[in-house]
Amino acid sequence: MPRTKSPARLIIALSVAGVLAIFLVYVAIAGGTPQVKPSNVAQHTGSVVLVGTVVSGSVRPAANDGKRFLLRDRDGSARFPVVYRDAPPDQFKGGREISLQGKVHDGVFVGQPGSMMTKCPSKYQAAKKAA
Amino acid sequence: MAELGRGALVIALGLELWAVGAGGYAAWRGRRRLAASAQNALYAALGAIVVAALVLEAAMLRRDFSFTYVAEHTSRKLTDGYAAAAFWSGQEGSLLLWLLILSLFSAGVLALTRRPARTLLPWVVPILGVVGTFFAFLLVFVTSPFDTQPPPADGAGLNPSLQNPYMLAHPPLLYLGYVGLTIPFAFAMGALLARRTDELWIVATRRWTLLAWTFLGVGQLLGSHWAYVEIGWGGYYAWDPVENAALMPWLAATAFLHSVMIQEKRGMLKVWNVLLVIGAFLLSLFGTFLTRSGVLNSVHSFSFSSVGPWILGFIAFVTAASLVILFSRLDLLRSRTRLESVVSREATFLYNNLLLVALCLTILWGVIYPIVSEAVRGETVTVGSPYYNFFLRVFGLPLLLLMGIGPLVAWRRASLRSLGRTFAWPAAAAVATGVALLFLGAGSSTPGLIGYTFSAFVLASIVLEFGRGTSARHATAHESWPRAFTSLIGRNRRRYGGYVVHAAIVLLAVGIVGSSAYDTKSTATLRPGQSMGVGGYTLTAGRPRYTTVPNIVEGRTPILVRRGSDALGTLNPGQNYYKAEDQTSREVAIRSDYLTGEDLFLNAVINKDGSVHLEASVKPLVNLIWLSGLVFIFGSVIAMWPDAREQRRLATRYAEQPAYARA
Repeated sequence: MPRTKSPARLIIALSVAGVLAIFLVYVAIAGGTPQVKPSNVAQHTGSVVLVGTVVSGSVRPAANDGKRFLLRDRDGSARFPVVYRDAPPDQFKGGREISLQGKVHDGVFVGQPGSMMTKCPSKYQAAKKAA
Repeated sequence: MAELGRGALVIALGLELWAVGAGGYAAWRGRRRLAASAQNALYAALGAIVVAALVLEAAMLRRDFSFTYVAEHTSRKLTDGYAAAAFWSGQEGSLLLWLLILSLFSAGVLALTRRPARTLLPWVVPILGVVGTFFAFLLVFVTSPFDTQPPPADGAGLNPSLQNPYMLAHPPLLYLGYVGLTIPFAFAMGALLARRTDELWIVATRRWTLLAWTFLGVGQLLGSHWAYVEIGWGGYYAWDPVENAALMPWLAATAFLHSVMIQEKRGMLKVWNVLLVIGAFLLSLFGTFLTRSGVLNSVHSFSFSSVGPWILGFIAFVTAASLVILFSRLDLLRSRTRLESVVSREATFLYNNLLLVALCLTILWGVIYPIVSEAVRGETVTVGSPYYNFFLRVFGLPLLLLMGIGPLVAWRRASLRSLGRTFAWPAAAAVATGVALLFLGAGSSTPGLIGYTFSAFVLASIVLEFGRGTSARHATAHESWPRAFTSLIGRNRRRYGGYVVHAAIVLLAVGIVGSSAYDTKSTATLRPGQSMGVGGYTLTAGRPRYTTVPNIVEGRTPILVRRGSDALGTLNPGQNYYKAEDQTSREVAIRSDYLTGEDLFLNAVINKDGSVHLEASVKPLVNLIWLSGLVFIFGSVIAMWPDAREQRRLATRYAEQPAYARA
């Protein structure tokens, strides 16, 4: 006796295809935002997410209750000056990792106010020494 | 004392290994006494892990800084409550909490399903043992909470933002959810290994799955509220990878809780259900991995960690092993029946599942996209809120609508005529709501207007279901209206508890739509006496004042709040400076209007010249989000509440089969 075709499988197949199509269209159109380190900011143009560690002792006041500081690579020493013209989150201070959205024009990074992100407070702990 | 903790963990590891080895052999060879010994090993492991946890907790409360972990997370000035909660504020303690909760769940499920799932338990025990062994191994060999050091004079203290009552509840609830998903996974694998591919494993773990799902949902909601009242950015969800990591298993478990109903009623989707439960468990492990690997730049990820590769390896092992088990039993998992119509209750459940899984997978894709792009393009590319919000609308709005459609459609096949009759009232309510909102100005956000219209449809369908059921009982059982209503729920707890949960999701949706699509924001720097306006409120700054309490300097700026000519009182946003931790923490001020659900949210930074940088936002209906949590718990409790009639019915249906089935 021949097997009858299952509409469930057709529904699943069509749904999966539909999801993939929507997804591909979205990604193709909207794309994402490159995440860059201080050492390679200058190689980019347009929107980026700048990720790095705040250099201890470099933090100074800036306009609009903001901060002026140096940012370095998480695993390197290249430094990049940042002026953030908005009040940073509570966890912001030297030695901590942050991410910051903004745009790069001619090698100059302009941060977007309100976009600075520090880590959840539970996640700051000292590096474990190698055994 | 540290030796006692370490020793207890080593004993726990040995007992878990015994549960795996002896339990697996006993299940394979059908050795009853050995299987009982393996089960007892899991009970004993719980005892050992409780000892380890008590040792660490006692060290926290005594501020025994010879424990490195205690010195890193507590201080002498920290109150006892927060010192106790600091147990799970770091990586080692949170992994110990994982193991403790897993052991509690394991012992609980063994004790409570001893009779109904007797045929499955011999295979379930080694599966639970494998998971327990892995976490005990991590704590013994990779990252121990019992490392010691020469004690410093004082500890580093607990981060000020964690000194919040939510710290006592949010992390344990999330862990209860994550870890609880181990139980349905272990039973699914156990059922496959035992070749019992009927619905017994689903029935045996239904309440456990529901419990884990409820904890995970409530845990996330508490985390959102914590962020809302503490962090000061005015939001409650940021699509951070680790936040998403908790949402994904919840979505997979939600799909599972719905699709098992199709398997129970129609014997369909057996493979799908096993895949969902594997997926939910893997996603819970993935969340644990994300916080500890440092592979993604997340607000919540630990900066330095050596356990990431171990967890990734375990995920790979679980994936491979569970798929091998599943494919080896595919011949036993054929559906008894087929989908008869695309317009039926089971079809709407299927659509619901597909949308939930699609949402889950797109979130997963967004989370791992930086890793994929790094591997493929050599450049890390992140996707932000626009990506997630887009897919939340694409999949979330149809899901919302299906919540109203599904319960009203007949099983097997529904005619268009019956659908017209069934949906007339809910559709009319939805259209009326949409038109009214349009006239009230809600058309400024199309997704918001659609969301509200769909919400009205779902609420109307829920009310209709309760109304029809109560009316039927009133007529047939000749009960009074209140009695008919309560007995309707009492006799169908799972169904009507589910409807209450649906109502909670509607409240959540309305709250999210209102607070995100129709909110108003304004920022200004004000000197004393100066004013600003936001969302119909006028805010006037006063002169900052400072008070000192032990360890904290509290700075507050009084903000006089007016609406028109009505003075609504004073809010006091500001900052706390914690001396011991040398850190500042913002203290937001919120004025909630419980009648309308609206919040006025103020976040202030006090400048040295006495001015205040004030961020003000008005968030309509945001309080419905928090209210939805209470309704969600209420509905879940109804659905979980033990039902003797149901137990008898199921006992008959899944009458005992031979206690041991060879693999």
